[in-house]
Amino acid sequence: MNLSNLKPGQQGKILKLESSIGSIRRRLMDMGIIPGEIIKVEKVAPMGDPIEITVKSYNLSLRKNEAKGIEIEVLP
Amino acid sequence: MSSQEKPLVVAVAGNPNAGKSTLINAIAGSRLHVGNWPGVTVEKKEALFDFEGRSIRMVDLPGCYSLSPYTQEEIITRDYLVTEKPDLIINVVDATNLERNLYLSIQLLELGIPMIMALNIYDEAEAKGYKINIKQMEETLGISVIPTSATRKTGLEQLLKAVIADKLVSPRTLNYGEDIETVLTGLRNHIQHEQQGLLDRYPERWLILKLLEGDTLIFKSTNIAVGSLPAELFDHLLRAHGDDIEGLLADVRYGLSAGLSREVLEKPEKRSIEITERIDRIVLNRYLGIPVFAAAMWLLFKLTFDLSSPFGDWIDGTLNGPIKRWSTAMLSGINAPDWTISLVNDGIIAGVGSVLVFTPVIFTIMFFITFLEGSGYMARAAFVMDRAMHVIGLHGKSFIPMLLGFGCNVPSIYATRTLENQKDKVLTALLVPLMSCGARLPVYLLFVGIFFPDNSGTVVWSLYILGMLLAVVMGFIFKKTLFKGESPMFIMELPPYRMPSFTSLMLHTWEKGKHFLVKAGTYIFAFSILVWFMLNLPWGVEHKRDSYLGKAGAAVAPIFQPLGFGTWEASSALITGVIAKEIVVGTMGEIYAPKKEIEKSEQPTVGQDIKEIVVSFGGAVKSAVSTLLYLPQKEEAEEEQSGLKEALKAQFTALSSFSFMAFVLLYMPCIVVIAAMRQEFGGWKWPAVAVAYSTVLAWVVSLIIYQGGRLLGL
Repeated sequence: MNLSNLKPGQQGKILKLESSIGSIRRRLMDMGIIPGEIIKVEKVAPMGDPIEITVKSYNLSLRKNEAKGIEIEVLP
Repeated sequence: MSSQEKPLVVAVAGNPNAGKSTLINAIAGSRLHVGNWPGVTVEKKEALFDFEGRSIRMVDLPGCYSLSPYTQEEIITRDYLVTEKPDLIINVVDATNLERNLYLSIQLLELGIPMIMALNIYDEAEAKGYKINIKQMEETLGISVIPTSATRKTGLEQLLKAVIADKLVSPRTLNYGEDIETVLTGLRNHIQHEQQGLLDRYPERWLILKLLEGDTLIFKSTNIAVGSLPAELFDHLLRAHGDDIEGLLADVRYGLSAGLSREVLEKPEKRSIEITERIDRIVLNRYLGIPVFAAAMWLLFKLTFDLSSPFGDWIDGTLNGPIKRWSTAMLSGINAPDWTISLVNDGIIAGVGSVLVFTPVIFTIMFFITFLEGSGYMARAAFVMDRAMHVIGLHGKSFIPMLLGFGCNVPSIYATRTLENQKDKVLTALLVPLMSCGARLPVYLLFVGIFFPDNSGTVVWSLYILGMLLAVVMGFIFKKTLFKGESPMFIMELPPYRMPSFTSLMLHTWEKGKHFLVKAGTYIFAFSILVWFMLNLPWGVEHKRDSYLGKAGAAVAPIFQPLGFGTWEASSALITGVIAKEIVVGTMGEIYAPKKEIEKSEQPTVGQDIKEIVVSFGGAVKSAVSTLLYLPQKEEAEEEQSGLKEALKAQFTALSSFSFMAFVLLYMPCIVVIAAMRQEFGGWKWPAVAVAYSTVLAWVVSLIIYQGGRLLGL
């Protein structure tokens, strides 16, 4: 399960950041996307990509392609 | 006294959207000097001023989230801090977003440079009911923490007082946990043993941490071979935490910032639905998002160009009317020869004019762009448009510069500043000239009026669409060639909506406009003078054909033969069109249908002239206001150019005129765009690429149109 599978309103706990995403990985971590963190999908852009999430109580947007590298566990 | 003393060097660092530039504007205001960091498009602001008898040099570092080596802003910030060793850092922190902001603060503390924290946007945090224990923050971090609000200008004096009172000692070291600290000590001893000098050159703890993280830039600059560090030092750490040390350190730093923020910050139990959330429900809505965006863009476009163009016209009219009359009168008064009068009027004044007419549009656009960015809407626009722009390898934020390009390409080049990544900026700027700007329209109108009177609208539209289609094609080609392998990313904060401070807005707009006038203006002016000389040399040239311009036109004409317009007249017009594309029309007018010497009618007096300038300025204001209010305006009657029309009919066919229009659309951007690119990208490389590709593209496309049309028997 990765972040791009979540629907707006759903929450998940970050398990792992795939190493295949390269330097984007460190960038994501710098933005607070760190294993253990709770992340919530707020919105999907009108054309279906990118998505908006909240993490560490601020709003961040990223493309689905980047979200695919973020492995999560869905929270109820 | 203070002036003899060495100024205290204060670097200002913080996250984007933490209000850093508003804070600096509020402190230093007009004393700010704006330039670029060497070799990059990132803005550098500096100010030198006295506060209570102490001289302070303040340097604004680009906003960044971390000190990793991955973005330009991060690299500039850390390079500056490490090599220039400022006396003090002011870390601007957004009090409403403490945890993420502290992540950078913790990295700044690693540098061991004395630091003060400006807890900014404090008023908003208070309004939200946040309680922040400042005393405890100061104790935990070992630095002074001053609550500020840059937009309300509160706390700024206390901040500066704290700056000059600071004892300038290194802040305390935060403990990163036993496992990491053990490795750090081991590494430090190793480096001390092997390369003692390094520990003097770099902040000690920072250097060791970066080596532990495997920071490639640090390995390169210290000449330490990657993998040469003794493996036994890391063994324990790797066994306990896995091999992702970079991730481990990010985790530790975020752990510290989360811990600190939990300790000092008390949020109200019940969270009210915030304004930002309410606005975004509409602005980013699945169905409403695009219509809202389209409306916002329509308004932006309308406001920018309709508001500014009457003033541009006024400047143009004043220079060409009264100012030229006055200079003629003055020069004739001292018996200056005719060529001097022409040089002053058609060279110098016209050259200055071609710079000045752009100022209203540049100022207006910079104002709106700064507003969009400062308010937080720019990020939303990018969010809504990213999917579409991504297709041609661009970023969502590229949309606005591209759109503005239809009005004028010049401010579009400046608007690429809103893009964070160098690749995105350059790629957008390269494609902007394919957006058919307002200056190309007069050329189309002249030709469609003659050759396509029955479907003029369709033909003009087809040119706009041709430009857009080619932007898609070229975007794709550039992505696969010039920018191959560069990983695109779109990880962008959606900051809360905020009202930008008016002073900050005005200052920013003024800086941009001034920059354009001085820097780009020089090139534009020089080129205009050059063209004047080409038109008028050798001295006393009778027929335009014999001028250097005509000769140059004749020399390049064969290149255009296969495109259907290989005449010296068309070629010369294309040469002068480099100043601004609408000049193609003027030059053609001069060449094909030279004006007869008009009997000098009664000259208006200086008094009448001044009155005219004032009255026409009033007219410009009225016209700007009435477009805003949608009052109908009288259209000016187009000048009759019957002589020109006859000549063109004889020289062009419908097919060759379409080929010519396509060429005008596509060939090298005008000198003003080139100057703007040179200014933005700090060198001639990208302007050269733009000139080369667009001219080749124009030639190929016109060739296909003309030769293809002939094959079809048109």
